[in-house]
Amino acid sequence: MPLFASAPPPSAWVPARWTWTDPKTLDLLSGTPINCLLLDSYTVDFISRAAARGIVTLAVFRPGADPADAARKAVRAGMQGVVLEGDFPKGAAARVRDALADTGAIAIELASRRAMALGGPEPIIGTYQGVWPGVQMLDNGAARAGPSGSLWISTNAGFIRSARAWGPAAVWLGYRPPAHSVITGERYGEAIGDAELAGGRWILALDDDFRARLERGDPAALQDWRGMAGVLQFFETHPEWRTLRAYGKLALVQDPADALLSGGILDMIGARHTPVRAIPGQRLTPESLQGASMAVNVAGEALSAGQRQILTNFARAGGTVLTAPPGWKGHSAAPPDQITLDNAELNRLDDIWHDVQTMIGRKNLGARLFNVSSMLSNVVAAEDGREVVVELVNYSAYPTDDVTVQVLGAFKHAQLLTPAGIQKDLAVYPTEEGGTGVDLDRVSACIAVRFRLE
Amino acid sequence: MTRREWIALVSAAPLLEAASSAPAAPVAIAKCASYSGDVTASLASLFDRLGGLDRIVRGKTVTIKVNMTGSPALRIQGRPPGVTHYVHPKLVGATAHLMGQAGARRIRFVESAWATGGPLEDYLLDSGWSVRGFLAAASGVEFENTNALGKSKRYARLPVPGGGYLFPAYDLNHAYEDTDVFVSLAKLKNHETCGVTLSLKNCFGMLPASIYGDDAGVEEPNENPATGRGDTMHAGKRQPSKSAPSELDPSSSREPGYRVPRIVADLVKARPIDLAIVDGIESIAGGEGPWIKGVRPVQPGVLLAGLNPVCTDAVATAVMGYDPRAPRGTAPFQTCDNTLLLAERHGIGTTDLRRIEVRGTPVEQAVFRYEA
Repeated sequence: MPLFASAPPPSAWVPARWTWTDPKTLDLLSGTPINCLLLDSYTVDFISRAAARGIVTLAVFRPGADPADAARKAVRAGMQGVVLEGDFPKGAAARVRDALADTGAIAIELASRRAMALGGPEPIIGTYQGVWPGVQMLDNGAARAGPSGSLWISTNAGFIRSARAWGPAAVWLGYRPPAHSVITGERYGEAIGDAELAGGRWILALDDDFRARLERGDPAALQDWRGMAGVLQFFETHPEWRTLRAYGKLALVQDPADALLSGGILDMIGARHTPVRAIPGQRLTPESLQGASMAVNVAGEALSAGQRQILTNFARAGGTVLTAPPGWKGHSAAPPDQITLDNAELNRLDDIWHDVQTMIGRKNLGARLFNVSSMLSNVVAAEDGREVVVELVNYSAYPTDDVTVQVLGAFKHAQLLTPAGIQKDLAVYPTEEGGTGVDLDRVSACIAVRFRLE
Repeated sequence: MTRREWIALVSAAPLLEAASSAPAAPVAIAKCASYSGDVTASLASLFDRLGGLDRIVRGKTVTIKVNMTGSPALRIQGRPPGVTHYVHPKLVGATAHLMGQAGARRIRFVESAWATGGPLEDYLLDSGWSVRGFLAAASGVEFENTNALGKSKRYARLPVPGGGYLFPAYDLNHAYEDTDVFVSLAKLKNHETCGVTLSLKNCFGMLPASIYGDDAGVEEPNENPATGRGDTMHAGKRQPSKSAPSELDPSSSREPGYRVPRIVADLVKARPIDLAIVDGIESIAGGEGPWIKGVRPVQPGVLLAGLNPVCTDAVATAVMGYDPRAPRGTAPFQTCDNTLLLAERHGIGTTDLRRIEVRGTPVEQAVFRYEA
């Protein structure tokens, strides 16, 4: 494999689309965690200069000519792999991998969400599809309420969680900024945080205007760039958060054939800031439900008799199981370019959503968060339960004051972590449900709170 | 407002409608530029000007209806709701503190939390308010979400003495009955349906959505309400749960500008307000919440309090630059009947500014015009 000695493993690649071929632009990466560039075009000089900085380069190919020859050429030029972006004919990715087999180079597929090889052997899986994250706004600057009773936050987090549940592969999202829009540095930060929060990575992609301003050294653009790098750095300096388990007592048994539907449900539960563990139907085991007290089964009839028995045993042991009504089907017939649930599907989801809400109620199933309507959260814990981390990403352009975080468990210490490098001890207090609470003065772009037993 | 304009406003009042014999009571006004100032001291000065809080609350259960209209998720330009359309938590804390100092035995904060029957504490936290701070502000502080049955086993039926405009009685959460003193802690702002939201209109929020909400049960209350009261109470498209007294005349106007002011006047007649406090330190103009197009943040920098809600709202309306006796069709009552006049007609209090003694800052010095 043409990976240089200092190259990080693919799981640690922090990707960005790079349209420049001038090696001087690599200076922009100084002080950022970005270590992997996706190139539509390249020069040998640029690749070698990048490699000298420990930066991985990947050539991007799209459907058209057979990419196998071009992939070999790119790798011979010194690149560490290729990215197949788009919906290639069946077998194309396998042919590229065959062509690169003796080089050790990697081939990453950025396919449609439905075509992603979930649970496969590749170290990185990805999709070119995604929604541009953010709070939906009304004309007068007020945020719009959504069907889950909270603000309507467009997010990819549920889908990423759903996809990550299938296996250890890193999940990349390759969607681009919306055209004809003014995109602030904060909005880029939201896109980064949206993916990182769920343990995935957004392939950083700049709009034309921002790219041009950055190229000419515009101070405001450079400041935004540093802010974006700060958000990335915040998450990338804590790689252990990706490996922690979901903390909480609610499990979602996913439809094996429909990560999109499961992602939609995860987003709805996520809007309530209820921690949830996603379990693909075929990975349902008694162990996967350990510690859970409630399970929502949307896999329905796709489960085997043995898997259904696991849920029956879970219920007999005192767990609560909510199963989609008979005949309830997901979304698999939708067109491939559809990545969010349409109104008809949302209505179908309402069949079980009301029951899910009733089941969850105001119980603390791991964490309860208050004054976080413009935010999404992720709550994870160490295997031994001695540490719980609550990550929060704010999708509003405005900071939010006076946020309350309550987690299950009697923790003695809590520490606030921010992208600005602040590490501040927080006063903890017991909550009614035997949990631990902290109050946060302000949440701007993103923060994390680390609870520790000692 | 110049002194000349003020005199003109006061002297024009009897031309519009003969002043009633409804009772009059003094209203106190204090300037308070921002919530970062000493809100407690400003509020205390108002109570002192009204004769002191002790005589009102000592040894008593005090129920304080705060104005937290609409979902706490909805914000105006990302601002905390307390500086826009909710009363400010600092004022709420100051009220608790002063009530405690004055010897109140129990201080119960109430609100019908939008679209939920859950604990009010959760709603406060979702608004960015410190429940622990309120509990520390005085002893005997408690909370009740009056959007449903809450901590009681039955609803309290409060008849409208002398008969109501729309309903003969209302079924409310017990907190509105089980109290010695009732306080309306309101915001100085406009209201799309009623013209102004002050201490009277604040009481529309006493109605439990479990009975008067759009998803209320037909026969019995729905103890898990998840909607507002628009169809049922504003528009009269459906009736409240049959467990509650039904409307006097279901063939009456269904227009919100007719119905809501009358319901408010009925409610305040049924549940008299002993102390009205109006938060005009920071607020919004042009409507009551973020869902109204064109609302804008304003900073009138003023606090008002009075022992008669109609008098208090009359002065507050004048502070907003309006004539409190303005008829329908005149700002701020362009599309509605004047709630203040309806309450006056119920005999609750006078709107005649000549009969209302203003203590502290004169109106002409406190005025902040809400019309753009």
